[in-house]
Amino acid sequence: MGLTPSFAQAPGSEVEVAVPTQDCSINMGPQHPATHGVMRLLLKADGEVLTGAQAHLGYLHRCAEKIGENVDWTQYLPYTDRYDYLSAMNNNLGYSLAVEKLMGLEVPERAQWMRVLLAELNRIASHLFAVGTYGLDLGAFTPLFYTLREREEILDLFQEICGARLTCTFIRPGGLFNDAPEGWLEKVESFLCRFEERWKEYDALLLRNKIFIERTAGIGTLSGNDAVTWGVTGPLLRASGVDWDLRRDQPYLVYDQLDFEVPLGVGRQGEVGDCWDRTEVRMSEMLASLSMIRQCLDKMPDGAIQHPDAGPVLRPAPGRAYVGVENPRGELGHWLVSDGTKHPVRVRMRSPSFCNLSVVEHLLPGAMLGDAAAILGSIDIVVGETDR
Amino acid sequence: MTSSAFSRWWRNLSDGVISTARGMRITLRTFLRKPVTVQYPDEKPDLGGRYRGIHYLEQDLCIYCDACAKACPVDCIEMDATRHGKELEWHAFTLDYNRCMLCELCVYPCPKDCIHQGEEYALVTEDREDMVRDLLTWKGLTEEQKQKVAEVEALKAQRAAGGGE
Amino acid sequence: MDGNFISHLLSASLPPGFPFWGLALLAAFLGALCVVGFVSILALVSVWLERKIAGHIQARLGPMRTGGWHGWSQTLADAIKLLTKEDVILRGADPVLFRLAPALVMGSALAMFAVLPFAPGVQFADIDLGVYFLLAVASLTTIGVIMAGWGSNNKWSLYGAMREAAQATSYEIPLALSLIPPILHFGTFSLLSATEQQSGWGGMQWYIFSDAFWVAIPSFFLFFTAALAENKRAPFDLPESESELVAGFHTEYSGLRFAFFFLEEYAAMFAASAVATAYWLGGWNFPGMTFLSTGSLWLPILGALAFLLKAMFLVCVMIWIRWTLPRLRIDQVMTLGWKYLTPLALGIMVAAAGWEAWRASL
Ligand code: SF4
Ligand code: SF4
Repeated sequence: MGLTPSFAQAPGSEVEVAVPTQDCSINMGPQHPATHGVMRLLLKADGEVLTGAQAHLGYLHRCAEKIGENVDWTQYLPYTDRYDYLSAMNNNLGYSLAVEKLMGLEVPERAQWMRVLLAELNRIASHLFAVGTYGLDLGAFTPLFYTLREREEILDLFQEICGARLTCTFIRPGGLFNDAPEGWLEKVESFLCRFEERWKEYDALLLRNKIFIERTAGIGTLSGNDAVTWGVTGPLLRASGVDWDLRRDQPYLVYDQLDFEVPLGVGRQGEVGDCWDRTEVRMSEMLASLSMIRQCLDKMPDGAIQHPDAGPVLRPAPGRAYVGVENPRGELGHWLVSDGTKHPVRVRMRSPSFCNLSVVEHLLPGAMLGDAAAILGSIDIVVGETDR
Repeated sequence: MTSSAFSRWWRNLSDGVISTARGMRITLRTFLRKPVTVQYPDEKPDLGGRYRGIHYLEQDLCIYCDACAKACPVDCIEMDATRHGKELEWHAFTLDYNRCMLCELCVYPCPKDCIHQGEEYALVTEDREDMVRDLLTWKGLTEEQKQKVAEVEALKAQRAAGGGE
Repeated sequence: MDGNFISHLLSASLPPGFPFWGLALLAAFLGALCVVGFVSILALVSVWLERKIAGHIQARLGPMRTGGWHGWSQTLADAIKLLTKEDVILRGADPVLFRLAPALVMGSALAMFAVLPFAPGVQFADIDLGVYFLLAVASLTTIGVIMAGWGSNNKWSLYGAMREAAQATSYEIPLALSLIPPILHFGTFSLLSATEQQSGWGGMQWYIFSDAFWVAIPSFFLFFTAALAENKRAPFDLPESESELVAGFHTEYSGLRFAFFFLEEYAAMFAASAVATAYWLGGWNFPGMTFLSTGSLWLPILGALAFLLKAMFLVCVMIWIRWTLPRLRIDQVMTLGWKYLTPLALGIMVAAAGWEAWRASL
């Protein structure tokens, strides 16, 4: 459907020049720097203006759900690390909570607080990466290195507590694999102090930059209604003004004992639900997580970190369970079916990136080619999770 | 109308200049600070005591119970030994790092607490076969562990010599 | 006195009776050799600087391993790598345009160096219309880029080329307009005589310190911004914008041809900085130069050093800006060019003209 430019008629003339042009279809990906992994977007463009977009998935499909049916309940944990590899702790947590629901386990208190602490730390790490790479999508390299610098400190903390940086495999059904080493909690505290200072740097360098605002404000606006219709969750949903956060509205672990704010998009620079709002929500969520971690550190009880009934081989009672947790990218749901043996019958997850990605087909048409990277980046997908 | 359009024009311009200047101040400040990177091959990062690197096996303690192999999600541990009463004659204890995801699930169920993950992590090789490590040959140990192994070996040899007399 | 320092040197050293055309050819050949060598070394140094500055801005060190001291030979190694790489020409590409484009781009970049006054007596050609020659030659790059984008037969490249066409034509106007205040002030298009006029006050009578500083400083900033856009430097690197267009117009280039585009970018950056230096920052003039006698050999050496330092400083500022700012979108680039820079440049031009007329009437 090409635009047909008809040149304005000179008064009195009857000539109209119509030049029908064909839209240009462009493959953005699978090897494109702005697709954040191996994903392909088929764009249709009329000059610089996009007229259509379609996402093609599956380049990173690893049968994560099918593997779940062939391994033990605990053995599946390392696979959960690998779907949203930027927030392994949160994935571990989502899966473990679902298994615990099947087994009817109540996790010891210290483990619960530790889990919240780790999940929020990982949320900060994930949002840092999201904001940094978003700057990269818009051509600003330096914020990425600043956010990576702080993310690296979080990964160092993870390395110290669980031995791995990215694929943690640390939160397990029944509790945690290990308790925090000596002095670890103090290190978290000191990191938080440093982080607060650095946060202001990203804010001034990226978010308040005039060019950044111009590039993101009013671009890719997703209304609250549309967001709900498309099944969008997480920061995207909240940036569109929908006040919904599983941590507060369906509290799990000890989130109901924490006092935190859920940042919403208010359209400060453009419209509610534009790319700027999404980035801003992520930035504010980092601060919210920071205050949650502080509270966790204050209230951290002593005690066991592992439920005594949860051994290496689990045999949950026959049944089915669904647990959704608030991941950095949205609601990560696990739907597990057990027949009482040591292998799951069905492991199915609702991955936030997948549902959030579907909205590009709605957001991209009408935007400009340069906005494609801006919108895609603001959705912040992890292809490991869309393709699983 | 015109005045508001002009003031918007002026605001855009000054915002652009001011925020650019602010950004440049931040980058300049970082430019003058010390870099945070570690010059990797020359300086080694501190891995921390719990680092999950290449495994090592305390062969003397292992009782050939297969618990670690069973716990592994990707079945990458293979072992073979012959029992002579209480003594074990080891033929193989291999770990396939083509498949291993260094998840530490094999470490927890070990009844003798004799398989560990060490601080060694460099698995660079030109041959896939090299990725299948034989834990019995004491490959992939840190210097300290090698020393420990050597001590144990020496002790054993001593005991064997003593038993022979 | 015709000819440049090379032909002077030659005519002094060649046997008498050497035909004039031979001298001219030899001088041209040697001059071209000098420019190519100079530009290559310049590009090597600037690329190294860019990497190091980018590294330190990003809290890291940049290349450290090749060549010992702070990886000084990293770019040299890269240059060798680029030279030895396979030169791929796609089957669907336009063979003529594809081959011609890098040559044109490189040629235009080299030609710019002909009129730059490096030091007293060190200039390849003092043309009366020096700046306008420079602007004209610089815009040849645009044609080369468009040829590259079209000839690559790649949609991303074509987008890059079209963006370059739009961007370069719009920014040529503020670029040329912002040059008018110094031209009015010095009353010359020649970079050489403009530089010579700034030698007063012990080498500190630069245009930005002169009585017309209040037009000089804004016009300097305008020129600098427009030059950034002309040279496709961030935040105006739309034609290559790697997060949108993969690598824009040079996506399909490899090896030596890619190196030409790469070289051109740094050569053009330096040329723009050199023009800014010659017109606004006093060219080769440096404080303390009055202590040197006019015939002294130190004058051209130190003068060239001062000129290079000033120009390299501006190059570093360009690098600094690149590693600070996000990229504009193409329509915003046009808005900035037409709605902000052009009116501002016009206003400053009128102000400068008024000021110079008033001063002349005194
Ligand atoms: S670390 Fe994990 S994958 Fe590797 S051998 Fe142990 S259990 Fe298997
Ligand atoms: S679980 Fe421990 S004792 Fe058993 S075979 Fe493995 S390493 Fe040996």
